[in-house]
Amino acid sequence: MTDKNVFIRPCTWIYLLLMALTFVTWFIGTMQFSGLQISLMVLGFALLKGQLIGDYFMGLKQVSGFWRWAITIWLLLVGSLITFAFNLTA
Amino acid sequence: MEKSKWPPGDLVIWIFIMAELLVFGVFFSAYAFTRANHVELFNTYQLTLDRNAALINTLALITSSYFVVRAVAAIRNDNSQRCFHWLLAALFMGVVFLVVKGAEYQHHFAHGVNLSTNTFYMFYLSLTFFHFLHVILGMVILIAVALKAKAGGYSASEYTGVETGASYWHMVDLVWMVLFPLVYVMR
Amino acid sequence: MKYESQKVAKLYFIAAIGLFVGQILFGLIMGAQYVIGDFMFPEIPFNVARMVHTNLLIVWLLFGFMGAAYYLVPEEAETELFAPWLANLMFWIFLVAGAATILGYLLVPYATLAELTMNDMLPTMGREFLEQPTITKIGIVIVALSFLFNIGMTILKGRKTVVNLVLLMGLTGLAVFFLFAFYNPTNLVMDKYYWWWVVHLWVEGVWELILGAILAFILIKTTGVDREVIEKWLYIIIAMTLITGIIGTGHHYYWIGAPEFWQWWGSIFSAMEPIPFFMMTVYAFNMVNKRRRNHPNKAAVLWALGTAVMAFLGAGVWGFLHTLAPVNYYTHGTQITAAHGHMAFYGAYVMIVLAMISYAMPLMRGREACNSARSQSMEMWSFWLMTISMVFITLFLTGAGILQVYLQRFSDNPMDFMVVQDKIALFYWLREIAGLIFLVGLVLYIASFFVGKSEPEATVELAK
Repeated sequence: MTDKNVFIRPCTWIYLLLMALTFVTWFIGTMQFSGLQISLMVLGFALLKGQLIGDYFMGLKQVSGFWRWAITIWLLLVGSLITFAFNLTA
Repeated sequence: MEKSKWPPGDLVIWIFIMAELLVFGVFFSAYAFTRANHVELFNTYQLTLDRNAALINTLALITSSYFVVRAVAAIRNDNSQRCFHWLLAALFMGVVFLVVKGAEYQHHFAHGVNLSTNTFYMFYLSLTFFHFLHVILGMVILIAVALKAKAGGYSASEYTGVETGASYWHMVDLVWMVLFPLVYVMR
Repeated sequence: MKYESQKVAKLYFIAAIGLFVGQILFGLIMGAQYVIGDFMFPEIPFNVARMVHTNLLIVWLLFGFMGAAYYLVPEEAETELFAPWLANLMFWIFLVAGAATILGYLLVPYATLAELTMNDMLPTMGREFLEQPTITKIGIVIVALSFLFNIGMTILKGRKTVVNLVLLMGLTGLAVFFLFAFYNPTNLVMDKYYWWWVVHLWVEGVWELILGAILAFILIKTTGVDREVIEKWLYIIIAMTLITGIIGTGHHYYWIGAPEFWQWWGSIFSAMEPIPFFMMTVYAFNMVNKRRRNHPNKAAVLWALGTAVMAFLGAGVWGFLHTLAPVNYYTHGTQITAAHGHMAFYGAYVMIVLAMISYAMPLMRGREACNSARSQSMEMWSFWLMTISMVFITLFLTGAGILQVYLQRFSDNPMDFMVVQDKIALFYWLREIAGLIFLVGLVLYIASFFVGKSEPEATVELAK
């Protein structure tokens, strides 16, 4: 089977990437960096992580039509609302 | 690879997932917009949260999700026992999450924090506890799947149940990916 | 009908319909009193009419639920009812107690009724919807426990299906939460707080499980779709109902003195309560579209689809309209609430009971599958008359409510309550007319049981 190459291996790389992005977020948090740009960057990482989980872990990359983009749509909606709210005080 | 029209697992769980995501989405937005009116308050009390604990928990959930991916891969290879073991590993990471989160609550409660302390804590406790309940529900689902896998209830030709449980668990992970930066980091 | 003991449901259904007629008559009296203040005074004062209208609703729906359970549980469990005699006995006890209570409301002043029934010993009277004398409440508990015992034993000895378990869960919840009717703390905040455990957790919690189970049963029977498919939907619908409904109780805690976080919890979770209703609509239509046979009882299918749509509109959409705390700040306790209450009860609970009666009654009266075409056609007329007039009642009350909120609470020069009531009288008149049409629909509904009795059963073209 090629499952190992087309399924497990990409997911392993994604897993490592998710871990790395988490460390970056944590580092920013620990340093107590603040401000709109920093916040939006952190949010961007979060949305990217969400997209990766949807695409690879949940396997939506292999899906077409509405469900292909269901998670993406949610991330974009939530992301824009949060962005908008943080912009209110910037 | 041929693209499918439907997501992995039972379609019904996906409708449930979307409904759950909607609730979390509303909760996140409510947090963000309320924060806009109380920036000082939110920034002050955010610092009382334990980011190291949140880091451990984020890593625990991602790792757990990855283990579930491996469980799905195992059953695709018709290996029920390996599937079961990966699910056990995933469940273990779930326990780690619950223990660490429980310790955080313990700490806050010991300081007399409750839902009425202030708006920030109200959101922090509500959001994380609602998510906490989802971790528990997700684990219950995974336990059911694991037991059926151990009993040989799935095979390479029929493993919808594994994918169904996996999809729900990934959703629990996904929600935390937004919750962690929003509540613990963004300021 | 497969089991002889299912027939006990018949008594319950007949009583339900009888009390339904009473409820509508008192509704019409009260509707008239909105515009002609002394109508039927002093024989039937407004507060008494209201009490009878709401209490009859609850009692007849309980009769309906019990009848539905007695019919459905043996068939699902594939065994005779544990104790049919107990079901019959409880029927008469419940009917006599219910009738005596209503007569008590009508014949003596409420305070006298309280004295007569020794309310002082265990005071539980005087709270909206829970006005029943303590002794009646104890009677309800006894009836509910024997009913649960009967149903539970039947399920235990028979096949355990998801439909039965969900129904049992709902009915148990109904009985358990009713116990809070006996808890009557002196602190007003606490009093209201737990009062909602009966009222809200019934209609926005456990009753929805009963609704889901009955609907699932009717869909399984009329569409021939695989039980597994229907059960899966039932699972997520009840999960969503419980997640949103239980915490959604908070939308009653905004202004009663409960902690402030309830404004958030109540708003967010109750705003999600339409989701399970929406799922129910999607699922009901999906199942009917995927049907493997055309059931000749078209009226029952119509009621089942109707309940899915009207429950979503009445409970879901009209509930959402005024559930968010900032909106509810203005709309609380206005005609908006009445509008929501009418369509939600009709859509979610009246219609599901009528759907069950529509499905089961012909079978209990000796038909093979359904009534004659003439009877069904009349029943479907009554469906449309009642449903459309209920839509209009809701719309008129919504109009009245919007105007009321504006004039009384929102405008720069807010007016007194009674002045505003005068100004919205036109809407009350229109509501009363719609109510009369509803009564016509109800009369047709009852007539449909008696027409075409000697004619053959309706048939359908062969399934595709």
